[in-house]
Amino acid sequence: MALTVPVRLGTAENTLIEQLNSVGAAAEAERITVAGLPTRRVESYHYTDLKMLLKAIPPLAQAANEASAPALRIAGAYQLMIANGVVQAASTAPAGVIVGKTAGGVLSTRDDVLVHLNGALAKESLTLTLENSVDPVIQIDRRIEGEAAHAADSVKIFVADGASAVILETFSGSDAAHVGNHGTYMALGKNAVVTHVTVDLSSRSAAHFASNEYHLADGAKLRTLVIHAGAGLSRTQVFPRYEGAGAHGDITGLNLVSDGQHADITMDALHAVPGTTSQPLFKSIARGRGKSVVQGKLVVARDAQKTDAKFMHQGLMLSDEAEILSKPELEIYADDVVCGHGSTCGKLDEDSMFYLESRGIPTAEAETMLVRGFLEELVDPIEDEALAEALHGIIDGWLLAGK
Amino acid sequence: MADYDDIPTLKENIDRATVDSVRSLDVDKYKYGFETDIESDMAPKGLSEDTVRFISAKKNEPQWMLDWRLEAYARWLTMTEPNWAKVHYPKIDLQDMYFYAAPKSTPAPTSLDEVDPELLKMYDKLGIPLKEREILAGVERPKVAVDAVMDSVSVVTTFREELSKVGIIFCSISEAIREYPELVQKYLASVVPVSDNYYATLNCAVFTDGSFVYIPKGVRCPMELSTYFRINEKKTGQFERTLIIAEADSYVSYLEGCTAPMRDENQLHAAVVELVALENAEIKYSTVQNWYPGDKDGKGGIYNFVTKRGDCRGDNSKISWTQVETGSAITWKYPSCILRGDGSRGEFYSIAISNGYQQVDSGTKMIHLGKNTSSRIIAKGIAAGFSDNTYRGQVSAHAKAKNARNFTQCDSLLIGDKCGAHTVPYIESRNGTAVFEHEATTSKISDDQMFYCAQRGLDEEEAVALIVNGFVRDVLQHLPMEFMVETQKLISISLEGSVG
Repeated sequence: MALTVPVRLGTAENTLIEQLNSVGAAAEAERITVAGLPTRRVESYHYTDLKMLLKAIPPLAQAANEASAPALRIAGAYQLMIANGVVQAASTAPAGVIVGKTAGGVLSTRDDVLVHLNGALAKESLTLTLENSVDPVIQIDRRIEGEAAHAADSVKIFVADGASAVILETFSGSDAAHVGNHGTYMALGKNAVVTHVTVDLSSRSAAHFASNEYHLADGAKLRTLVIHAGAGLSRTQVFPRYEGAGAHGDITGLNLVSDGQHADITMDALHAVPGTTSQPLFKSIARGRGKSVVQGKLVVARDAQKTDAKFMHQGLMLSDEAEILSKPELEIYADDVVCGHGSTCGKLDEDSMFYLESRGIPTAEAETMLVRGFLEELVDPIEDEALAEALHGIIDGWLLAGK
Repeated sequence: MADYDDIPTLKENIDRATVDSVRSLDVDKYKYGFETDIESDMAPKGLSEDTVRFISAKKNEPQWMLDWRLEAYARWLTMTEPNWAKVHYPKIDLQDMYFYAAPKSTPAPTSLDEVDPELLKMYDKLGIPLKEREILAGVERPKVAVDAVMDSVSVVTTFREELSKVGIIFCSISEAIREYPELVQKYLASVVPVSDNYYATLNCAVFTDGSFVYIPKGVRCPMELSTYFRINEKKTGQFERTLIIAEADSYVSYLEGCTAPMRDENQLHAAVVELVALENAEIKYSTVQNWYPGDKDGKGGIYNFVTKRGDCRGDNSKISWTQVETGSAITWKYPSCILRGDGSRGEFYSIAISNGYQQVDSGTKMIHLGKNTSSRIIAKGIAAGFSDNTYRGQVSAHAKAKNARNFTQCDSLLIGDKCGAHTVPYIESRNGTAVFEHEATTSKISDDQMFYCAQRGLDEEEAVALIVNGFVRDVLQHLPMEFMVETQKLISISLEGSVG
């Protein structure tokens, strides 16, 4: 297939190697030197060729001097902030929440360049321990301020047995060509119930990378929602691991892409033990020359019988030039399972448009109504009203910007 | 496989044993595992420029063909093996392999009576009672023209004269290179480029034989065409090349069958199949692949690394692939359709069964380039034993493929808890008017189904065979009659020992 060509390193790769060496991560530097950034030949980056997409890497972030207002404000939320990779002092935490920080990154090692880079470059991590159920939404505001910078940060969250929480992470910053590499590690105790929403609102000139790792114990219930609505290049990797019987995940995500944007949600889920369930649901809306990528892998381990997992991706094209690329994957080693995936892609239903227009609704408005309906499934299950409203705001804002 | 009872006269110089081997079925588990002791004419072991020259000289090829092969060989030297498929195998030592083996000729059998009764019994087990069929209540069976390829050469092509009356050319590719050079030059490697992939390029350099079919404009091929491939010699690789050209408004249905003897070594089979359908033409290509899959411990078996591609070059043309994959230690093949002509249509129906330590990584590619093109994929994977069965398929619509339409359905069935079933579709929509639907499921045979069958007196194996045949029915329907009955039996045989 491939011609044997030694890896030729580009500007971005050379900068990365320098940066890694400067923080003493020789092994990671070596890895980039040997393999370079992943190209389309690396299966998990098939549609997001970082070698091609990442032209340059800005200098490593310095501590931020100032911070702008949070990109998203949720009434009554408890706010924490990480700016340019530095964990900021927090206000008094609600009862049962222990806030701390630890040196280095938090993600488990895996064969992935973004995870490696995060581990090598994150200087400190925010740690959150939720000892019991927490009422207010916990918002972690992660931002990159000032001149264009390459920043890595991470967050580790422990949710005690039986506790419940709603956690929102927003990614934003100044209008510069930042490269952000964010990691989140979350462990859910037995029967814990967590809603985890991550929203990228960084500038169009920025590149946003996030890797979210989840570990679910017996009976834990997780709902996640990734929204890409900011950076020109974004990729969120979701790694749920169902490690206890009865664990369930509703892993959801949404790519909103306009002209020139490239958004990628990649899920790699492992059903490690018998009796776990998941229902991943992803949606893409692309307009202009936007490109949306959704990859979703369901791995069912050898003895993980009675797994019930259904992946779904639905793509909506609002222009002729848009691209929606999807690669659902099933990797199944147990026989007594019910697993499946579906992926559809098309434009707005002409009959529905006609129905609305024949009732006097202008085309643009009819389109908005249908798109809202299309996305309802994702936002509806989020019970916190203020949060759901804020998410609707983001979606409406994106739709309006296209008019 | 093919219907040899219909062969009226065989070429004079065919080895009796060759024909037998083509018919015969042996051994308990793998029915085609016999090895026929035929004297062979072989190339020196290993691969080098000299091997390429040797093959070309053996085939009396013109200079342009030799140059073409040498260029491919030079290109191949710069390439590396692909490693993205979900299959694992030790490195193949191409230097420890023969690239050319031809059976030496002795007289041929004249009638069915000369055939070993044991073989007829085997045919019976496979549901092809050779004698009975002839007296089937006055029903005249449709004719099937056959091209049999053993090791590196085509040994027989039947019905050629009858076909040539309507202008159809059906012969071995070596003959085509000599007799119809202008056609071969025009179409060879026009669908699968010389540098397409490692194994395709290797095939260009060393391919030894295969079938060539040319259907002239407006002709509907009056009978099924068929090729039967067999690897017989030890340590040989088989590199065959098939080229089918359907001119405007023509139709052809082509069947392909494969078997090999049982050996504990791994043998390589790297074929290239190219189909070209011009305006309004239709090609239906069916394969029953039953190469030796290796023994129960995963020793031996054929590595089946095949590049098959069809080009719907003309408007409103249609190419349909149907495959039944039960054999081979490793299968690595993706029969594809390039939907270039406006309104062209591609279809892919597949049954892939893996048992023992078999590894299957198979699927299709539907590349939508023209306007109003449509494609349909139905893939059924069945994994048993310790096998891994992967469906890998790509559906892509390019920016100019307005109103492209695809429907894909992949279902996997797991039998036993030591096997794996995987599905990896690549769905790439690059224009807003394309509508793609993809759906995949994985499940096992439910206890209810088994109980129901047991209640009606079926034992476990019969029940599994029955349920599996139901599971793959959507695909079976698309097989020509000749293959359908046999395939059902084949499925039962392939799954023997997978339960209980």
